[in-house]
Order: sequence, then structure tokens, then C-alpha cells
Amino acid sequence: MAPAQPQQVNLSPAELSFLRSTLAQSPPIRFDHTKGPKDFRSMRAEYDVLPGANGSARIALEDGTEALVGVKAEVEKSQWRPALEERGSLLSVVAGDMEMRDADDEEDAKGKGQNSWIEMSVEIPGFRDDDPLPVFLASMLTESLLASGELKDTLYINSRFHWKLYIDILLLSPPLSYPLALLSMTTHLALLTSRLPALKSERDEDPLFDDDWDAAVFLYPKNNGKASAETPQDKPPVIVLAMAVGPNIIFDPCMEELAVADAVLAVACANAPSSTAGARIVSIRTIDPPSHLTPPGVPNSMNSATGGTVPASSAETLTQRELLATSGVWTPPRGGMKRALISQVVKMVAEKGGVAEEVISALQTIEFG
Amino acid sequence: MEYFSLKRSNAADRGGHNLSSKVYVRSTKSGKVQKIVRELYLRKDIPCSSNLCRACLEIAPTDFGKKATPFVLSDTPAGSKDYPDGLYLVPDTNAFLSGMDLFEVETAFHDVIVLQTVLEEVKNRSLPLYHRLIALTKHEGKRFYVFFNEFRQETHVPRETGETINDRNDRAVRRAVQWYNEHITQAVKARSNKQTRIPTVVMITDDRDCLRKARAENIPSSTLADFVFGLENADELLDMMSAAQDQREVRSKKTELFYSEHYTISKMMTGVKAGILHQGIFNVSPYNYLEGSVHVPAFDKSLLVLGRENGNRAVSGDVVVVEILPQDQWKAPSTKIIEEETLNKNDNPEVEDGENIVSERERKALQEEVKRAHGQSSEGKPQPTARVVGIVKRNWRQYVGHIDRDSVRTTSKSTRQQQMVFLVPMDKRIPKIRIRTRQAGELLGQRILATIDSWDRDSRYPMGHFVRSLGELESKGAETEALLLEWDVQYKPFPKTVLDCLPAEGHDWKVPVSVDDPGWKGRKDLRDLLVCSIDPPGCVDIDDALHARKLPNGNFEVGVHIADVSHFVKPNNAMDKEASQRGTTVYLVDKRIDMLPMLLGTDLCSLKPYVERYAFSVLWEVTPDADIITSHFTKSVIRSREAFSYEQAQIRIDDVTQQDDLTEGMRTLLMLSKKLKQKRYDAGALNLASPEVKVQTESETSDPVDVQTKRLLDTNSLVEEFMLLANISVAAKNYEAFPQTALLRRHGAPPKTNFEELANQLKVKKGMELRTDTSKALADSLDTCVEPSEPFFNTLVRIMATRCMMSAEYFCAGTQAYPEFRHYGLASEIYTHFTSPIRRYADLEAHRQLAAAIDYEPLDASLHSKSKLEGVCKNINVRHRNAQMAGRASIEYYVGQALKGKDVTEDGFVMKVFSNGFVVFVPRFGIESLIRLRDLATPEPEAEFDAENYVLSVKGSVGRNVELFEKVRVRITDEVEGSTGKRKVKLTLV
Repeated sequence: MAPAQPQQVNLSPAELSFLRSTLAQSPPIRFDHTKGPKDFRSMRAEYDVLPGANGSARIALEDGTEALVGVKAEVEKSQWRPALEERGSLLSVVAGDMEMRDADDEEDAKGKGQNSWIEMSVEIPGFRDDDPLPVFLASMLTESLLASGELKDTLYINSRFHWKLYIDILLLSPPLSYPLALLSMTTHLALLTSRLPALKSERDEDPLFDDDWDAAVFLYPKNNGKASAETPQDKPPVIVLAMAVGPNIIFDPCMEELAVADAVLAVACANAPSSTAGARIVSIRTIDPPSHLTPPGVPNSMNSATGGTVPASSAETLTQRELLATSGVWTPPRGGMKRALISQVVKMVAEKGGVAEEVISALQTIEFG
Repeated sequence: MEYFSLKRSNAADRGGHNLSSKVYVRSTKSGKVQKIVRELYLRKDIPCSSNLCRACLEIAPTDFGKKATPFVLSDTPAGSKDYPDGLYLVPDTNAFLSGMDLFEVETAFHDVIVLQTVLEEVKNRSLPLYHRLIALTKHEGKRFYVFFNEFRQETHVPRETGETINDRNDRAVRRAVQWYNEHITQAVKARSNKQTRIPTVVMITDDRDCLRKARAENIPSSTLADFVFGLENADELLDMMSAAQDQREVRSKKTELFYSEHYTISKMMTGVKAGILHQGIFNVSPYNYLEGSVHVPAFDKSLLVLGRENGNRAVSGDVVVVEILPQDQWKAPSTKIIEEETLNKNDNPEVEDGENIVSERERKALQEEVKRAHGQSSEGKPQPTARVVGIVKRNWRQYVGHIDRDSVRTTSKSTRQQQMVFLVPMDKRIPKIRIRTRQAGELLGQRILATIDSWDRDSRYPMGHFVRSLGELESKGAETEALLLEWDVQYKPFPKTVLDCLPAEGHDWKVPVSVDDPGWKGRKDLRDLLVCSIDPPGCVDIDDALHARKLPNGNFEVGVHIADVSHFVKPNNAMDKEASQRGTTVYLVDKRIDMLPMLLGTDLCSLKPYVERYAFSVLWEVTPDADIITSHFTKSVIRSREAFSYEQAQIRIDDVTQQDDLTEGMRTLLMLSKKLKQKRYDAGALNLASPEVKVQTESETSDPVDVQTKRLLDTNSLVEEFMLLANISVAAKNYEAFPQTALLRRHGAPPKTNFEELANQLKVKKGMELRTDTSKALADSLDTCVEPSEPFFNTLVRIMATRCMMSAEYFCAGTQAYPEFRHYGLASEIYTHFTSPIRRYADLEAHRQLAAAIDYEPLDASLHSKSKLEGVCKNINVRHRNAQMAGRASIEYYVGQALKGKDVTEDGFVMKVFSNGFVVFVPRFGIESLIRLRDLATPEPEAEFDAENYVLSVKGSVGRNVELFEKVRVRITDEVEGSTGKRKVKLTLV
């Protein structure tokens, strides 16, 4: 993953070193010392902010980063697919992403959705739309949405028509911290409150919709009230950002914390099919932390001004730095994440009462509140 | 952290509740589905418009002249028993839907507040009713006021969560009524302390739930029926309520269904798009009410719809969607006359228990049809049949008819008992309509206007309601109005807004004396030309005048001068709009319904003799062989020297003692016209015939005294030839100037299949050949269809050929390819109407285009717009046809009246043979009539029908054969037709 380009933290190597050591100690002391390792930054959220969109949400973090997401749906003609009789013979020819269909189960939308029915665009001030940051953010968000699978199937209208979903994500502020989690949560909230006009026509007719917006159905159908304990409501996935510093795992890192991360992990999770299981992981990605790009501190031993000797070659520099790694002089972290650490993160996210469940239910209360 | 919400409503809360929004889903034609959010800015300055209120007068918005629109509602509204202090009515949507005819009554229903909520709902439910409601709000005497309750802060009602739209709208109506009552009470108090008469604002609704809620909230309310009950002549008024609703309530327990359910709109549209279903207009055969046909774009020939079941509640004129039936159900079109009246005489409108949609007798009639169809080879090949599966658009209108005497249980005028009766429409293609009435006794023997309200699956006949009575059957007034209504002719006097567009000088208007006057700008002074007009006798709206003179080079200058109507009727003013609506002047035997106000039509525009008039002239230089050298168009001023009738002109031309220049000019015109005519025929123009008769009426009472066939003189064709020439020249010029938007007239070549039957008939009966490859071939072969012993035979064939043709139509140049412009009948590449702007709107548009083409004046924007012109064309095509039909119906009526009580024997010709009757045409009176087998003798004689040779051999006491084209002697008497109540001539074989 490419790093988030410009946002460099203006911290000196000494400050970075201090920050890292506080985060690495046990228990860690975070940049905002009132927070524990699992605590998220406080945020303000609201939904249905864009009256013209099918669904929308806006979340602002306390550091001033703010995102706005609008979801728009349009009816689109589906591409021609071979009729049932012909399909058997044609199946071998048709491209791979054509799913097998259950022939006698015509009305069931399961497995009929296509990836191209969801289109996402991420706009970040100061970036072109083909810059790596927005492109990667969009692809990660799309990936998690598609991975959970159910969303595209709900877009199926009949064999000739489907909804096309346009998710427009707008970061209103410069990307102070890596904005993936924020965008994901905002998208989650927007999708959760998105509605599609109610269908009135039947089966393969040209679709005809109820003109009453109040009759519109939720993209993620709500089950009424308390009965939800048995069959939890299907919800869009949400991405949680976790970072590792030494042995510690810290969730929702702020910009400064990211600057000293050993590794950053983006975990996308959706709510589990049954309420007992916590959450299920939809996708995981490692993210190249900005700490890799921080300038290293120069130890006295390598500084000619303080009586040290400047190493002759860069290889030598590296060797020397390796040796000095624990001395307290700031050295950008190198290498990836330990397997055990990853599984620990996954566990913390997915377990019952874990971070993912907490985030999802917190976003849910926004909508109900 | 300061946090501002982005939501609009929150921000608005701080500024007071003056903003609201409305959210709905809109599906566009292209299939897009959009969520629409409309913001509503609530105001406080929408007046209540009651003359009692002073406060509203102060806040009411003013126009640029600082004047508020005058208030509508009376300060002393009429009261009723329950509300003696007077009342303002606030009807809800259903009240308007079911009682629009009531609200239009002149004597009741004044001071009505039409809420915006209601108006919009009416618009969504029924566009025609909406237009009628809008017309009512413009009617000054009725005092209908549209109150924009959704925009007024106090009466705006936001929708609550979980509330249906209907409930919200009902609540909005109740809220508005409540506010009005409070407001009026305050207004009266503010006016004076002493006044105690405070009008009540009453909600009119038939919704039980809404009534209950209104009572709970203490809002005055009433059902429409209860309210009407308290009025005078309640009986008549109650009959005018739509039957659609109460019928549903009464019959809801019954589950027996006679018709299959209609498809949903989306299912039909999908089917039509996919080509499985077909959409078209449902037409019922005038000879057989059980046989309908639907012409669909996918096929050349129309699809047959046989029987009531397959018709599935479609009424002639509806736009329907049909499904083709399997081939084993295909049938030949019927050769039998089936009239509703004879088959279903004994139906009882009240009781419907045990009825079938296909009565036994109907079924038997159909079976015979099938047998016949299967036994036939050449002519009666089974044709595809179809079944109506849904109705896209009802084209129900108001129907004229009379009450079926047999359906009335008690004719006593004193009982006020409500009973169900049948209304038999004048138009035979329309089924009987069940109407509920309390005044059956009085309505018997009257011409009645009624509408259809609904046709449910469990009812064999449609339900309708009484609108008004036109008067006694057979009285001239009632019959004339009936036929105007049937053909949708606008016959009300011109409204004031139209008359305001007339020149202020009135009849004193004159062509300005000074040539410097702006009226003269761009006009040629042609006052020196010896112009004269030739028209039918008694013509007052003279559209055209002619002149001809010899040029020094031996050629002739010929001029056609057309009344310059476009000078007086400017585009898009009220008069223009009215004329565009009317489309054409309608000529009835004793009456003319003008397209333009009298002042213009018969005076200012009319090219009257001896006075100067503005004209639009077409001038040609023509060789003595009638070849056109140049043509020239100009606005002009002319002075007609004389207005001739055809006969006078003929006499003057024939009189050799007359040697003046004017007569010479006319002789030149006649000479040239003959050559032009020959050229036209050489090019393949058709000489068609239609049975034209003229009814002579007594001038005072306009009672018909005699019927004559029209005589054609040379001068008739003189005028005709030059008019055709002018039209063709103008068409070419307009098309050159406006290739996209020129208004033209085309006459499509008839499909070959149209002539198949006639050609076969001629071949079988007379051994003659009818070639129809081109119009020239047709014209030539028509010329050969002559029977030396019978001079009329040729005319008869021409009349029949005319009926095989398509009808000519107006169109906008950009909508067709050039080869499609062709006028088949006139064998002209391009054609338009230019010569009768006083009586045809198309000509007026052509004038405007020509004026722009010659740079006389700029073209109005409406004539640049293809879509607008298409709309105009569509309307005038319909109006044109209706006007012809109305004219014919009028002649038919007067012929009937002229023959009233007479008993004459005349020659007739058999035009069409059915298996149980035949049609005879009598040239002397221009009438054609059906003679049924059962008219020949009682009991109905047996007969054998040889469809291939078109012979009907009648057995029994009559014992004779009736053949197609046979000349027969018929006895003409008159009788009142039971089914339509029309006096019709009755023919019997002698």
C-alpha cells in the first residue's frame, strides 16, 4: 500500500522517540492520555443531511477531520444474459464472474448481484481523483462492501433491471490522519440509512415504483425493534484501523500516533450472522504507516559535530542504526507485522463485545437516536 | 468544538417555521427514478379571498399596478337549512371526482373554496376533470376560489411519520376548513361588533372516516348527497352524481365477476415494449356492436376483437392493449348485422343476478358467425383476433342518448323513487349505460347527456350518471345540440377575452386611406384589378376572390386573393387560441359555428364586393396553355367588383352580350381552369364523389322543405382549380422557406388491401377491373367502370372507392420524408391549405408562414416549434373530421325531417350485402340505409347468402334475390329508430 503522501507530522526525532516509547510501554500512554488503547476519538455524526440523495451521512472527528457521504441509486438496464434454457450450454463460454444460477429459483435475488453495480468515488481536497490516496481508499472501501456480498444482491430488481448505487465520499477537511476509518464509518452510516423507492411491479416487468418516498424501503432492511436478538439485522461493513507499537495494539490512532507506528492494519468487519459470534472479518489490509518516512534522529556517535564519525556508506549507516535501535534515538520502524500480533488484532476486533461490534452498535444508536 | 448541522430543517427552525419540504419519487419516461425534494416556503400573505375580510385585503400580494386581485367569495353567500347564515363550501377530492357535473350547475354551488391539496389530487386522478375544475375557477359567476393552503403557514400540514398520503391530505383539508372558520369569524368581528351573520365554511366529503374525524374536531362537514338533498330540485341534482362510488359500496358483497381483470400498467407496458402485447385504439363496428377492431402499429390490418368477453369493458375510442388469440380462435369479420337493441331487448338494468356477460342470444349469434367464417374461402379468410387485456387510457366523453322505455319500471312522474334505467347512446358503438335516476318519468322521451363513470368487472354494462337534458327528442334545438356534443364541436359563444382582441373600430373598420399608414407597409395596391368572388349562394364569409387579365406578351396574369385573416388574428392571443381550439368552422344545415368571431369572418376579413379589403394575393403569369411561368406572393389591398354565386357567374359567362373586362376575365379564368383540370387528371388526380345533397329550408323557420342533390357547374371547378393551384404554390414556397416546420397537408396512398374487396366485387359482379397501383391507374380504371344503361353506376363506384381511401391529414414538414408529402387524390407532390383562413385554422397558420417566407413579418416562435405545430396539426385533424361528421349528421337529420310523413318511391342501389340484410343507397336524397331481412316480411324470411357472389336469396313470400350493385325500387318512409331515438328514413323494397 502506498503511503499517504503529504501529511507529514512536524515532530522532531526526539519527540517521535518519546512518543513511541510511551506508546510501547505497558500499559501504553496514548497521545491523548485520557484514552485507552481501544478508545476511539470522539466524533459527531448525523445522517440524512443531503435531502436529494437516497441516503447520506456526515461524521466529524474532534481533530477537525470531517467526511460527507451521499448514496444515490439509479435504475439501470441489466446486460443481456442468456435465457434459462440456453444457459446450460453457454455457461462455459461466459466469463468467469457469471455466477451459477438456480434455475427454479427465479425470484430469489441471491447471487445475482454484480460488482459493477456499485460505484464509489472518493474526493479529498488537494488531491486529484487519480492520485493514489483517493484511489486506494476507494478500492479498499469498495472491496469491503463487495466482500460481504449481500449488498449487491439487494440491488437486483429483476432479470432485466437493477439498481446502480453511486457512493460519493467527500472528505471535507485535509486528511489529517489516515482517513480510511472515518470514511468507512460515514459510508456505513449513509448506507444504513439509504432507502430505495418501493417496487410496485412484479417479476420481469419494467420496474414501476411507488411515488411515495415514505414507502421507500431501506437498503439494509430493518427488523422491527426487539425481535432483532434472534436474527440480527444485516449491516454494511465498517473498517477499523489498528496499529502496533512494540507489543501494544492501539485502535483508531491519531495522526501523531501513526507517525510512530510499527505497522498499521485495516480490518473490515461486518456484523456476524448470529448475535453470539461478535463480528466477522470481511477483509484485512496492511497499510504502510507514515512512520516509515519520518526522518531518523542522528545519534551523537554518527554526528561529526558532536565528535562522532559519519559512516562512509549507507549500508554502514543502516548497520549502525540497527545497533542503536533501543537506545532511544529515533529510527523509523522497518519491516512488517508479526503474525501473532495480527491474530491478536483480529481477535480483539472480532470477538464478542470486541471493537467491531462496539463500533457497529454505536453507529446504530446514532440512527435510532 | 462548535458543530453545525448541515440539515436544512434545523437551520430553519431558528428562523421560524417558514420552510418545509415535500419528498416524493418521480419516474421519468426514460425509466429514471428520482427522489425529488421540493422546498416549500410558507407565507402569510395568501388571502382568504372572502369579501368579508379586510385583513387579507391589506396583505394580499399586488401586481405591478399595485392592485391586488379582486376577492372572489361573496360577503353574503347563500345559506341552507342547516347553515342559515350562509356557507362557503370546501369540497374534497372525491366530491369533485364524483360530482363535477353538480358543481357546474348554474343554479347552485356558489362560493366554493378549492384547496390546492384538492386541486392537485384532482389533477392526478383525472386530467379532464381537472380542466373542467380550472374552467370553473375562471367562471366569474360561480365564485370558485383556489386557496393555496399548502403555502399558507397556518394551513400547511406536514406529513406525520407513518401517515398515508391520503390521510395527510384529508387532514390538510380539515385543517384548512378549521382555519377558514376561525379566520372568517375573526374577520366578521373585526368588521363590526353588531354583525351576527357569520358564514360557515363546510367541508364536503364522502369519506366516512374523514367525516368522523371532522365531527370529533368540531369541523362543519357534510356528505355531498346530504348537502344536495337540502337544495331545491335535489332530484335532478342527485342524478348528476357519479355512480362510481356508491355502486362500489352497494355491490361490494357480490363476488361474481363477468370480465377478466385488466393487467397492471407495468405488465402492459413491458408486454407492449417486448412486442407480445399491442396497443391501439379500440373501434367498434357500426354494423355489429360485438365486433371491435384495433389497429396496431405492428400489423397492416386491424386486429379483430369479437364479443364482449374479449372486448373486456373497452368502450369505442379507448386506448387499449390487446393480446393476440391463438390461431384456432381466428375468425372472419362478420357479414351479419348485429344490433344491441335487437338482441338484448329484455335486459333488466336493476337485477343482474344470474346474468352472463354473453347472453344466450349473443352467444348464438356469435356461433353462427364462426360457422360462417370457417366455411368461407376467398373473401372471408379467418383474421387474427385479439383480446383486450388492459386499458391504457379511457376516452370516455359525454354521450348523448335517450332512456330505454322498456327499462323504466314506473313512468309515473310523481314517484321520487330511485331506479336504475338504461340510457341508449345515439352512437351505436357505445354500449348501453346504466344510470340511476329519480326522474325517470320526466326523462323519457328526452335527449339526455350522460357520462360513463365506471365499468366494474361484476357489471355487464357500464355505470354512468345523468348530466343534463337537452330537450324533447326530435326537437330541432335538442337534436342540433346533440350532434354538436356528439362531435365535440365547441358551440358556446366566444368569451369576452376573445372579443377583446377584435379591432376597436368594429364594423366601421376600413382600410386606411393614407398609403403611409403602417397597415399599408409592405402591401401592394391592387385596387385597380378587376377582382370578383364566386361562392355558393348566400355565402357571407368570402375567403377568396380572383382576377385574370391579358398581358401585353400574350400571356395571362391570374391572381387569387385570399382574405388576410392573419392581419387581424395575431399569434398567441386569446382569439388565436380559441380559433386553434376550434380548428374549423362547422357548417350545419341551418347553422354555422364559426371559428372566428362574426365581425371578422363575415365583415372585416370577408372579401365583400365594392369595399376595400386587405388580402394575401398569389399572382401568376400563365401561358395560354395554362403553364405557369412565374408565381409571386404579396400582401395587398383589393377591391372586389362583384360577389357572384356559382350560378350567377355561369350565367354571366354564358351570356354573349356581356363583353366587359370583368366578364372577359372570368372567361379567361374558366378557359385556364379547364386546361389546369385536364393537366391534373393527366397527372393522375382522382375524380372522386361523395353523395352530396342540399337541404332547402324555409328561410323563416328553417324547416326543411326539400332535398336536392348538389348541381355542379363549370364555375364550381373554376374556383376549385385556382384554389388548388394557389395551395400547391404556397405549399412549395412555405416548404422552401421552412423545411422543418411548414404546415402541409398530405393524403397517403391507400394500402392495396383497402381496395381488395371493392376490386373483387367489381370483378365478380360486373367483370370490371380496378387497378390500384397508382392514383393514375386508379383514375383510369375508375373511368372504365361505366354501365351504359345506368349513368349513376360510375358515381356509385366512385363513392365506394372514396370510402376505401385514407383521409387526408395536416402535418408538419419535419415529421415526414419528402416522398410522404404526396397528396394522393390530387396527384400533387406537395399541398397545403391556404385559401380559406376564415374557416380553417390550418390556412391561417399557412398565411403566417407565407408572410414570413416573403419577409413581410417575422415568424412567431410558436410556428418555429415542431412539437407545437404537431400539436396544432393533431387537433385540427380531429376537428376537421368532426366538423365533417357533424355536417353530415345534420344533413341526415334534416333529410329525415324533410321526409317526415312522406311516402315516396325512388331508385336505389345495393351497396353492401350482409347475410341478414343489405345496404341501399338512394342518390336522390343522398341517403343510405340498411334493409334487414326482418323488414321484408314477418316472420323474418329465410335467406341464403352467397358471400362469394354477393347475392342474398330471400326465400319465402318475398322470394327474390338481392345482388350487389343491383338497382332496386325502394319505398321511403320515416320512422323513429328505437335504438337511437333518431328520426331516420326507412327503406323498404318495392
